[in-house]
Amino acid sequence: MSRSQSKTNFQIEAYKHKVVVDSKYADRIWRLLEHAINEIYNQNASGLSFEELYRNAYNMVLHKYGEKLYTGVASTMTSHLVIMSKCVENVHGEMFLDELHNKWVEHNKALRMICDILMYMDRSYVPGSHKRPARELGLNLWRDNVIHLTGIQTQLQNTLLHLIHKERTGQVINRGIMRNTIKMLMDLGPPVYQVNFERPFLEASREFYKVESREFIECCDCGNYLQRVEARLNEEMDRVSCYLNPKSEVKITNVVEKEMIANHMTRLVHMEHSGLVNMILDDKYEDLRRMYNLFRPVPNGLSTIQEVMTSYLRETGIQLVNDPEKLKDPVEFVQGLLNKKDKYDKIITLAFNNDRNFQNAMNSTFEFFINCNPQSHEYISLFVDDKMRKDFKGVSETDVEVVLDKLMMVFRYLHEKDIFEKYYKQHLAKRLLSGKGTSEDAERSLVLKLKTECGYQFTSKLEGMLTDMKTSRDIIDGFYLNHGAELGDSPGLLVQVLTTNSWPIQPSGTCNLPAELTSLCDKFRSYYLGTHSGRRLSWQTSMGTADIKVRFVNGQRHELNVSTYQMCVLMLFNDTDQLTYTELERATGIPSLDLKRSLQSMACVKGKNVLRKEPMSKDVKDGDVFFVNEKFTNKFFKVKIGTMITQNETEPEKHKIRERVEEDRKPQIEAAIVRIMKARRVLDHNNLMAEVIKQLQPRFLANPIEIKKRIESLIERDFLERDGSHRKLYRYIA
Amino acid sequence: MAIQKDRVKFNVGGKIFETTATTLAIAGRDSYFASMFDENWDLQLNPSGDYFIDRNPDCFSILLDLLRTGELYIPPHVPEKLLYREALFYGLMGHVRTAKWGSFDGNRLQPLTSITGRAPGDGTAIRASPEGGCCVAHGSMVHIYDWMLSEQHPINLDYQRVNDACWVGPVDPTGLVISTCERLGRGQGGMGLFNTTTGELRHKFSVTHEGVVKSYTAGALSFNDSYNLFSSCKGRSNEYGIGVWDQNTGQQVDFFYEPPGWSLGDADKLQWLNGSNCLLVATLFPRKDNCYISLLDFRSKSMVWSWSDMWSPANGDDRRVRDAIAMEENGSICVVNEFEDLGFMDLRRESSSVRWSSRSRLMKGKMPDEPCYPKLALHEGQLFSSMNDCISVFCGSDWVLTSRLRRSFGGSICDFSIGGDRLFALHSEENVFDIWETPPPSIV
Repeated sequence: MSRSQSKTNFQIEAYKHKVVVDSKYADRIWRLLEHAINEIYNQNASGLSFEELYRNAYNMVLHKYGEKLYTGVASTMTSHLVIMSKCVENVHGEMFLDELHNKWVEHNKALRMICDILMYMDRSYVPGSHKRPARELGLNLWRDNVIHLTGIQTQLQNTLLHLIHKERTGQVINRGIMRNTIKMLMDLGPPVYQVNFERPFLEASREFYKVESREFIECCDCGNYLQRVEARLNEEMDRVSCYLNPKSEVKITNVVEKEMIANHMTRLVHMEHSGLVNMILDDKYEDLRRMYNLFRPVPNGLSTIQEVMTSYLRETGIQLVNDPEKLKDPVEFVQGLLNKKDKYDKIITLAFNNDRNFQNAMNSTFEFFINCNPQSHEYISLFVDDKMRKDFKGVSETDVEVVLDKLMMVFRYLHEKDIFEKYYKQHLAKRLLSGKGTSEDAERSLVLKLKTECGYQFTSKLEGMLTDMKTSRDIIDGFYLNHGAELGDSPGLLVQVLTTNSWPIQPSGTCNLPAELTSLCDKFRSYYLGTHSGRRLSWQTSMGTADIKVRFVNGQRHELNVSTYQMCVLMLFNDTDQLTYTELERATGIPSLDLKRSLQSMACVKGKNVLRKEPMSKDVKDGDVFFVNEKFTNKFFKVKIGTMITQNETEPEKHKIRERVEEDRKPQIEAAIVRIMKARRVLDHNNLMAEVIKQLQPRFLANPIEIKKRIESLIERDFLERDGSHRKLYRYIA
Repeated sequence: MAIQKDRVKFNVGGKIFETTATTLAIAGRDSYFASMFDENWDLQLNPSGDYFIDRNPDCFSILLDLLRTGELYIPPHVPEKLLYREALFYGLMGHVRTAKWGSFDGNRLQPLTSITGRAPGDGTAIRASPEGGCCVAHGSMVHIYDWMLSEQHPINLDYQRVNDACWVGPVDPTGLVISTCERLGRGQGGMGLFNTTTGELRHKFSVTHEGVVKSYTAGALSFNDSYNLFSSCKGRSNEYGIGVWDQNTGQQVDFFYEPPGWSLGDADKLQWLNGSNCLLVATLFPRKDNCYISLLDFRSKSMVWSWSDMWSPANGDDRRVRDAIAMEENGSICVVNEFEDLGFMDLRRESSSVRWSSRSRLMKGKMPDEPCYPKLALHEGQLFSSMNDCISVFCGSDWVLTSRLRRSFGGSICDFSIGGDRLFALHSEENVFDIWETPPPSIV
């Protein structure tokens, strides 16, 4: 009983899990913090204790009054910002930005102290409550209550734009305050910067440059205009680096480029007396470089420049290759091409940043107009000939290489490289046989370049020619080493042994050599055949030259440089004083055309007339009689008689080259067809044509009609057959 | 103003401490001390020449010692929770966390504690967070623990079974991606990004096939370095494969459709390989009748390596692959069967076969009633394999067994995870998980 009573007496209080701080206490703490925040904003913080405030804020959060603390701070801050905004709003003119910045500094300082106090709130309350940390809250409130206030927003925007406009028109502004103000906008986050400053700034700039570009283009020439644009661009970039967000740089330069370049592009390029063409004409590298750099970022900018450049180049190029003055002299003609190439190379290197597209455009334009004139092939070869004969004398190896490389550049443009090869072979042969080439190294170097460009096949004959020249020297050396002693004082002999197929020479009948030579030649023949068994040696007397010493009756002595034919004729006059044409023809056995030409150059050319002809006339007739010209005088000891030849080919000869080339192409086309069909087995007509043309491209442009003929011929010879069902299909027959 | 000399004197809860401004500077910008000595505050000294702080002096001395030495020593009479509370007040939580335990070494692990969960069913998965906390998935619930091992808001998936979970990582420490089964007819399920502090859904990842958003079941998850999220996906109309999402935008960026006769959409495991820029996808027995392991290259949209046991002769033996892990440094894939035999495959050779390790410990006849199949994990050259109630650690080029981790209760280990320098092991029977950590390095 007593137990039950004691039970009722005892009152056990429920255990309190949490000491709940009553809301009055929370109000008191908050008032304290509120007061502190007010004091901070009033710049009267010296009396505040950090420890106490931090502890109070901590306690509020700890006792679940985080929400109250957060909203309280937000509203207190707002009330101060509203007051600040009123102050700022009422300031106008020069001082507006300063006032705004001062208030911003004040707010920032206060915010920093408030954040110090609220550190625990940021860490413990904010993450789980969908709220922003205190600092972000402070910035957002500044944005909403100050910056976005209509009175301030417009004034801020106008002031900034006005100052920038002032700076653009050449006045000095306070860049420091600009930097501070814009930094503030950036601190408030990218959207604030964009809406309040960047967008209107870009819009105003667009307007400004639209007007300015119209003014400039009316009063400036192209180079001048571009200079001004460049200056403006530099100014804008300088502005960005001084007081704007670096990300704005691309945007503002885009505006300038669009307004000043893109909108006036065609007009600038085609500007009369100062446009692109004039710049190219006057080698204005600086202006061209500027144009390139300014046009590059603009859509279609570079392609515009490129188009104008190529069409101008094409026009002048066609003029050049068809210039009747230039056509008279192949050296002049090719030099003109090389000069043009040099000029454009230089422009592209110095002004156009070695731009690939420009190089390609230039190359295809050159390719186009060089091939406009079918004579280019011959002229280029003649140019080489001229260089090899004359200009390379005493020139250093590197200089020669430079010229050759340039030549190769032009060579690459040729479509029908095999025609070039035909010409080149002839010219080379003449050069080698006449001993007129200046440098074997240069010859070899050029052949090597052609080989790397067009392959082994292309140059095999050229190489054969060069090799023949070298082995000939060795053979002659060997001949004199072995037989020199027994030869005594017989005439000196220099033989060039030429491989039949390598040289562009038609075999011709031999003439009757003088007795002194016949025995010598026979000795050489037996020596040669003795060392190289199984060969056949025939004499090309039409190609040789001879140096003979003459003593005229009047006692004059001369050394004459003559052709082998002429030598044969002159030797006959050792025994007699006069001979008729028929006698000469019979004695020498020289073909009449050649004989006439030889006699003509010995009897009819003034200064070289070692013979006298009766009757005196220009042409040699069958009945003419020839005497030694006793009155021959020449102030030189050595006299070169020469045979009348023309440097330029005669028309029928040119025709012959064309024909020969066409003939040579046939087996090449056939080989290509067979190669392709062997790999593909079955192929339709169009694809086969395309492949053949592609394969032969490096050497010549194959004519589709010719390819078709070759296909027919191959079908006839059972290399190919037409498919039974598809007439368009070809089948390879193994 | 602030401090004229380097020496600073505090009165904390009545006890005097003297230290230097240099020591306090170690606390960093986001600490109480940095704010206190900020020049904006006109700091008032007491008449006795010290600064008063109304806090627990015992904890202050521990924290001050931590700032001085970088080491944390908690005397037995100070409860850890008390210290954490004080550390939070001073803004020194990061310092405490770093000093609390050492960097991970599988051979020096000590059991820290075991935590009993309150989930009713079997555990599905446990995933360590980079901070040292973890999440445990049971049925349709995910329980979150922070590094102090106090439980946060549980995440309720509304009856949808959780398949996998994956922490977003240091860029978003509170982000957790959870994959769940599709719920028929309601367009629910799939995959979502959750905030582990509040337990709220922040983003739902959707799958689009030919411009149409489809509902799907999300399976295994993985992240790569460039913030892409991968998940195996099963759609309703046989849209099986691996989906890829951009973590920043939350949008689907790619989808690797499962080739015929192969399995990707049902994968048990995804693993991103940094070196080869590939994703390992493993679908294993018994989810499917056969095992499929493949490496996917998303740039070329091709399967660059693959292996399956569907062509191997059915020898009826027991060697079914139960888990697989790629070891890039060795150029191999390690697999394990239900008897904890390790097997290896060469990643550099196409059509490689499993080379089973001879260390095999056959356990026929001694299997527990409710066996848990082995799982594998790799951490800095150490290979971990769980089997029944114990975790084995293998080291060296030949993968020699070097340590065994075992707690006496809880039954078999159904999953374990390494992260934040800790190892978490989830038991199947008692709904318990253990935490293992490496002690801080010795003083000398």
